Parts: sequence; structure tokens; C-alpha cells
Amino acid sequence: MIHDSLIRERLVTGDKTAADVTRDISRPILNQPSSAWKIGFTLSLIFLGIFGVSLFWTVWTGIGVWNINKSVMWGWDITNFVFWVGIGHAGTLISAVLLLFRQKWRMSINRSAEAMTIFAVVCAAMFPVFHMGRVWVGYWALPLPNSFGSLWVNFNSPLLWDVFAISTYFSVSLLFWYIGMIPDIATIRDKVKTKTAKFWYNFFSMGWTGSTRSWARYELVSLILAGISTPLVLSVHTIVSADFATSVIPGWHTTIFPPYFVAGAIFSGFGMVATLLVVARKVMNYENYITIGHLEAMTKIIMVTGTLVGIAYLTEFFIAWYSINEYEQYAFINRATGPYWWAYWSMMSCNLLAPQVFWFKWARTTPWFIFTMSIVVNVGMWFERFVIIVTSLHRDYLPSSWVMYSGSLTEVGLFLGTFGIFFTCFFLFAKFLPVINMSEVKTILRNRE
Amino acid sequence: MGHGHHIEIKQETFLMPSKAKRFTMIMMILGVVLSGIGIATMDRTGTSHNTDNSHSPAKEVTTTESTHEHSVATAAESHDTVNTAGNAEGTHAEAAHAEGTHTEAAHDEGTHAEAAHAEGTHAEAAHAEGTHAEAAHAEGTHAEAAHAEGTHIEGAHDDAHAEHANVDNEDFGPRIEYHAIQKPWTTEIWSNLLVAGYFFTMISLCALFWYTIQYAANAGWSVTIKRVPEAMFTFIPVAFVVVLIALAFGKDDIYHWAHYEHLGLKPGDVGYDAILAGKSAFLNTKMLFIFPTVLIVLWYFFGTRLRALSLKEDNGAKGDVTYFKKSIRFSAAFLVTFGFLISVLAWLFMMSVDAHWYSTIFGVYNFATHWVSSIAFIAVFVIYLKSQGHLALVNKEHQHDLGKFMFAFTVFWAYIWLFQYLLIWYAHIPEEMMYYQIRYENYKSFFLGNFILNFAIPFLFLLMRKAKRSKWVFPVIGSIMIVGHYFDVWFMIMPGIFGPGASIGLFDIGVFLFFAGLFIYWTLNQLQKRGLVAMNHPFIEESVYHDTGI
Repeated sequence: MIHDSLIRERLVTGDKTAADVTRDISRPILNQPSSAWKIGFTLSLIFLGIFGVSLFWTVWTGIGVWNINKSVMWGWDITNFVFWVGIGHAGTLISAVLLLFRQKWRMSINRSAEAMTIFAVVCAAMFPVFHMGRVWVGYWALPLPNSFGSLWVNFNSPLLWDVFAISTYFSVSLLFWYIGMIPDIATIRDKVKTKTAKFWYNFFSMGWTGSTRSWARYELVSLILAGISTPLVLSVHTIVSADFATSVIPGWHTTIFPPYFVAGAIFSGFGMVATLLVVARKVMNYENYITIGHLEAMTKIIMVTGTLVGIAYLTEFFIAWYSINEYEQYAFINRATGPYWWAYWSMMSCNLLAPQVFWFKWARTTPWFIFTMSIVVNVGMWFERFVIIVTSLHRDYLPSSWVMYSGSLTEVGLFLGTFGIFFTCFFLFAKFLPVINMSEVKTILRNRE
Repeated sequence: MGHGHHIEIKQETFLMPSKAKRFTMIMMILGVVLSGIGIATMDRTGTSHNTDNSHSPAKEVTTTESTHEHSVATAAESHDTVNTAGNAEGTHAEAAHAEGTHTEAAHDEGTHAEAAHAEGTHAEAAHAEGTHAEAAHAEGTHAEAAHAEGTHIEGAHDDAHAEHANVDNEDFGPRIEYHAIQKPWTTEIWSNLLVAGYFFTMISLCALFWYTIQYAANAGWSVTIKRVPEAMFTFIPVAFVVVLIALAFGKDDIYHWAHYEHLGLKPGDVGYDAILAGKSAFLNTKMLFIFPTVLIVLWYFFGTRLRALSLKEDNGAKGDVTYFKKSIRFSAAFLVTFGFLISVLAWLFMMSVDAHWYSTIFGVYNFATHWVSSIAFIAVFVIYLKSQGHLALVNKEHQHDLGKFMFAFTVFWAYIWLFQYLLIWYAHIPEEMMYYQIRYENYKSFFLGNFILNFAIPFLFLLMRKAKRSKWVFPVIGSIMIVGHYFDVWFMIMPGIFGPGASIGLFDIGVFLFFAGLFIYWTLNQLQKRGLVAMNHPFIEESVYHDTGI
């Protein structure tokens, strides 16, 4: 019996049946790749190549090829790190928090958003790892006995909390993503023709039979993992914010950082989900699954979280004035009017002002416009991290060490290169795995009989 | 949920049972009696919270803070003050201040009144030489400079000297732990009324926030319980008037900055406080009254409009969504203004008690504490109505959802609470630490009790599915949370007003009981005024069957 209100929009349009779902969603996997896919994948590989070259240069020569210096000791690297970690958050929010909230619109987008989370975390991890310099002893960041050559780690350091927070986040997200995919992998297993494909899909479906007992366990595990992931949505970016906020640097040390970073992460994550899905639904012909209604819901989340972030900006600014602490005040005035004013105002306009267009129905329901806005959001959030990191560092307490900083070619290359990692992974995912959760979407079809 | 059967949706009316009337009356009467006894037994000589000081006939300690531009010479010259060091042992120094006020304290054994400290340096000047007068009257520019800077006040504390001297480093700006000016005994009355008024204003406002987010998020499940927060919200004017009364009579004693405002000091004057002067564009009497009043009036207007719309919807036609759509617009307008401006109330009413202190998360922290208490109140009301045979359309699923909400925002509160503390503790910047210094050093049991009451207990109980669906857990845990969060608000300001000596007395308890009783009575009374079921709400069926869209 269906009791939903008449004013609810259908989550799957086009009067799809269960068979249609399977057919539509397994099509890219069973068919030869389309030319759009080939072009996209090639481009991604080029960027991946840029990453390889930049990384080689960094490791071979040393961190000196970056422009960071004694005042601005964190630059593009940590900006990119926070940028990518933030992007991951939408996946967890969609798959975990929206599951707990029984939001069924999550079902068509959770798979790709979770995939995005995992790839984004991989991109993020590159930066702190290679910033260590001697990356071959990177395992010293783990609490290993001293006989391994390391020294016992400092548990008081938020940087170590990061190691734990992000590795936990990565493993739980991966597990959640993978377990959610098992029934669908089994569906693909039953459809593929070649022997190799059969072997691998069989292997990864873990002998899924679709029995009632399997389903019961599957749902239980999903719920438990959602319960575990939900605090992770908060904890990961909270810990990232603690990297800054535990310090005594004006502009970094402010108590609103944890919730503000979390809101910003969800904001940027949804920005990236919108970027990907607006394109994917068009190219892959999934407009009946990822409907305008889905896009509208996402734009609303973008607007809310963007506004929350904006409230945090204004709060920080106000309290900096209110503190009557000249260092605090200067940090913020310098952000807005100092040499990096353009970064600050890019951040303000992209994150607080721009999303306000989503008050208009037209803006929320026009795909190309949403795509444009999602890019604006991504740019804005990159600038936010740049502003926080660089403007707070470049003029510290000692005017003699005031400097300017801009990324070197290698740093820019590394950043662009991570898009190569991200999109290469995403294209492979779109080719070999079902980008929409078939089994879940089948439960919300009108045409179920 | 697989409800195959049909549930008839019909209107219900609620009549407050005489038992409920009696119960709330008893709460109010008990509240009045307790606070009456509290007032009658209050010490009328001064800061009555500070029991240790009860023997001091007259005390006046005024603080001066370091201002970076404070002239050393002025400070030193201004020491034409009288020091009476009644304590022969010389362990408790009274030092007079740059402001030129008198410090007189008759010291009995065991009454350690006030000691105005210069950070460390003063201790040397005054203590080491053992002659306070010397320190105070010394001509010149050395030890007294430090004295005038960052004068630090401890009251009622034996070992406060030593402890604080260690904690406070000389090199960091201002540190005033509390505004230890002589307070009239009525301060306790006004500060408690402020806590009660503010708490219940915010609870009612959060009730409005509750149902506006349901509209904004297109939530279906909550429609059957919507009337409860709708009734709760109407308490706003009552509670806010209490705030205004408390401020009108008590603001000079509650807020250091309000008292300072009267002094009308100019830069260079003795006792001039650059920090308070700098904040005066925000921390001033006009702002204190006008800005919050405008906000509350605006929000109350949104709330009444929404209530009117929902009544029209009840009486309208089934399937008519015009009122629903209008409600979404009003909700969005409310939410935007609420989001941007709610922190201002917390800054003005609560944070400015510790006038030199600041924390960017403070507004969020205030929201968290009130929001979760408001949800607890909703849950308790729903259970109560259910137990009286009302809300036939509400089932265990709705209750379970409310339990999840309580659980989630209990964790949220703890998250915000923890991180405000953790970040300040970690960075250990003196001007931020002072807020926690006094709360942790002097109120350890309150400090930890706050966390146990508001996090540990509700967390452990509400974690269980069974508990969220049980009949008795909500009333018990909900009450603990409401009392706990009221206490949280109390604890936000009392140490700032009374220093280390604040305690919970009969008056404090009486005020809470009275207003809680009044709030419950008011809400139940409002619930009588209209049907309990939002009849033509487009999501009513979804809510009844607890099944959301496809």
C-alpha cells in the first residue's frame, strides 16, 4: 500500500519496470565503451600523467620544488588535501545520514557518491603523504615500535588524529560501498559472457544467492555501517579542522571550526556530486533515475550548507572584531583587504552569495545551470582552504617574516594531476561497476507488479 | 511498514485533565514558595552566592584589565588607595587598584575576601615585601605597572593566589575571571530570571524551528505530532518578557560591561578598559534591549502566521495545498533569519557576561543546548498526550523517531561542548582559558556533572532501541535532559557573575520549577485551543502510516 502524498514527485520516472532497471544500468558494463567514455578516459589519463610527472619531480628533487617556505609552510598541498577530503563527505552523508533519515532519493545517487568519496580520499591522502618528504618512511606516522626505525608517535598531535580519522573513514567507506554493491555485482555476474569477467564478478559477489536470509543480513549490515559512518561524517572533517584550530595562529584558532568545516565539506561534496551526476545522467542516459527532483534536492542541500558556511564566515569576522584582539582583527582584515583579497572575495561570492540563486525554482531545475554552479562551488571551496591556510600564515606575528606565496608549477601540476586520479578511477568505475544501486532502486518503482 | 489496514483520520480535541492542572499548579506554587524562602534567606549584604564572604561587611573590588595602551605612570600614580589588610598572616593580600577604589575587607579567620592580583609581579611586590601599602603607594613605574595591568581577582579562595599565579602568565593580556564588583543581593534574583527567561524563550523558539524545518525539508513523518511544538512556540512572549524584566533591573550587576558603561571613562582615565570600550558598539544598553526585541517580534510574527495558516488548513478543503505552500515560504523566511541571527542572542545575553571572553562557537553551543531540550519537551508532551488517550494517530514509530532525534542532538550537543572546550584547552591562550579556568577549578563537580547529565546518561539510555520505544524512558530521560540543559545555561553565566562562589540554592530551584510549571501549563492550555490533528496537511497520511514516498 502506498501512502505517499500526491505532491511528492516520483523518484523514478519513465514507468520503469524491474527488468528495465537491470537492463539500463548494466548496459555500460555489458556493452563496448562509448566514444564519450573513451574521450573522457583519455583526458583523465593525460591528467594522471601530469600527476605522475609532478610527483616524480617532487620525490626525486625534494619538497624544495614547491614554493612553500618558513612562513607559509602549508600551501597548495594542504589546501588540496582539505579540498579533497571535503569532497568525500557527500558520499558518506548520502549513503549513511540519508539512509538513517529514510530519504529514498538517496538510492539513485548513493553508489556514485560513495565511489567519489573513496577516490577523493585517495587524492587527499597524496598530499600529506608526499609532504612528508621522505615518503619511503611514511609508515613512521603509524604507532609502531621504535625498532622499526620510527619514534613513537605523538598522540597529542592532531596530525596523528588525521592519520586515524582518515584511514578509518577510508576503510569504512570502502566497506560500505563494497557491501552495498554485492547484490548488483551478482546481477552482473549472471549477465556477463566472457570467462575472465565471470570469474571476477563471481569472486567479488562472494557467492551471493539473493536468498531471504542474505537480504536480511545485507540490510542489517547496511544499517550498522550507516550507524558507524554517520559519526564519521562529523569526525573526519572535525579532525581536519583541529589541524588548524588547535594552534595559536589567528585565523586558525577559532572554536567554530569543527562544525563549520563539516558544513563546508558537505557543501563541497555535493558540489562535486552535482558536477559528476549532471554529466553522467546525460551521457549515460539515466535521466529517469537521476531526475530533476534529485538535482533539486541536491541544490537545496548546497544552498543550506553554503549558507551555513557563510554564517560561519560572518561569525568569525564579527567575533574577530568583538575580541578587540589586534592579532585576530588583523588576520581577518588582512584576508579581506590584504594582498590576497581576491581569494577571500572569491570564497565569499562562490560559497555564500552564489548558492543563493537556488532560491529560484528555475535555478534548481536547470541542469546546465546546476552544472555551472557546481563548478563555482568547487572553486569557492578550494579558495576557502587557500584563504584559511595562506592568508593566516603569510603575515604572522613577526613582520620581518611576512612573505607572499604562490604555488609553483609542480604544485599546480600535482593538483591538476589529482583530478587525473579522480576521474580515471571514476571512469573505470562507470565502466565496470553499476553506477546506480539496481537492487535498491527496484524497491521504489511504482511499476512493481 | 506494511500497514495493510486502513486508519481513519479524524480530528481530536484535548481537554486538560484536572490532574495536569493540579500538577502544574503545584509546580508553580512550589516554585514560588521555594524562591520565596530563597529570597527570605538570602544574605542581603552582598554577593550572596559567595558564602565564604558573608562576614565581610562591605567589600568593593573593582577590576581593571590590562589594556595594552595603559599608561604606566597613570597606573602608578593612582594608588592613592587604602588597604586594610586584616589578615595578619599576610597570606591574603588586598591590593587596591588603578581605578582608585577602596578595598576594605575585614578578615575573619577563614574569610578570604578579595585579593586583587597583578599577575605574578604583584605577588612579588606585595607579598614578598609583606607590606601591601608599600606596593600600592609606591611611586614610580615598576611593580605597579604590572599591578595595574591585568589585575586579577580572586575571592573566597584559600589557595587561589598560588594557583592562579601559576596559571596566568604575565605576558598575556587581560584576564578577568569575573566581574567582582560589589553586587547587590538582588543580583541573584535577576540572574536567575535571565536564565529562566532565556532558556524558555529559546525552547519555544526551537519549537518553532522544529516545525519550520519539517516544512522546509518536506518531512512527512512528523505531521501527527506537529501540534505540540506549535503550542510550545506560543510561550515566546511570556518568556521574553521575563528576560526583559531581568535585564531592566539587573543588567548593571549581571554584565560587567553594562556597569562599565556608566563610568563613562575616556582613554587615559584610570580604570579605562580598552577592550570594553572597543566592544561598546555592540555591548551597549540599546543593543541589549532593542536588537533581541526586534528579532523576537519578527520571529513571533512568523510563528503566528504559520499557526494561522495551519488552522486555515484544518478548516479548508482536503487536497488544498495553498496553505501548505505558503507555510513553506514562511518557514524558509524564518529559518534564514533564525540561522543568521540566533547567535546574537547568545552573544548578548550569555557570552557578554564574561565580557572579555569570546568564542566563535558559542552561538552554536547555545543553539545545541536549547534545541535538544526543546526536542525533549516535545517528546515528553507527546508521551503524555498518548498516555491520556490522545494522539491516536501517533504510534511507536513516531516515538522512535523522536527518540532518534533526542539521541542525535544529544550527541551534537556533546560534540559542540567538547570542541569548544578541547580547542580552548589545547591552545591554552589565557584570555580564552579564563572561561574554563574558573569553571573547572572552582566547580569541578558542576563541570563534570553537566557532561554526565546532558551526555552520558541520555546517550547510554537512548542508544537502545527498546528505550526509544518505551513509555517511561522519555519522561525520565527527557526530564533529566531538560533539567540538565537548564543547568547548562545557568552554568554559562553564574560563574561569570558571582565568581567562584555561585551555588544552587532554593531560589535557583524555585525559579526553574515555577517556569517549568508555567511552561507546561501554558503549552497544555494552548493544545486545548485547537484540534490535535493537522487534518488537511498533504503529508498527514504518510505520517499516519509512517511510510514515505516512492
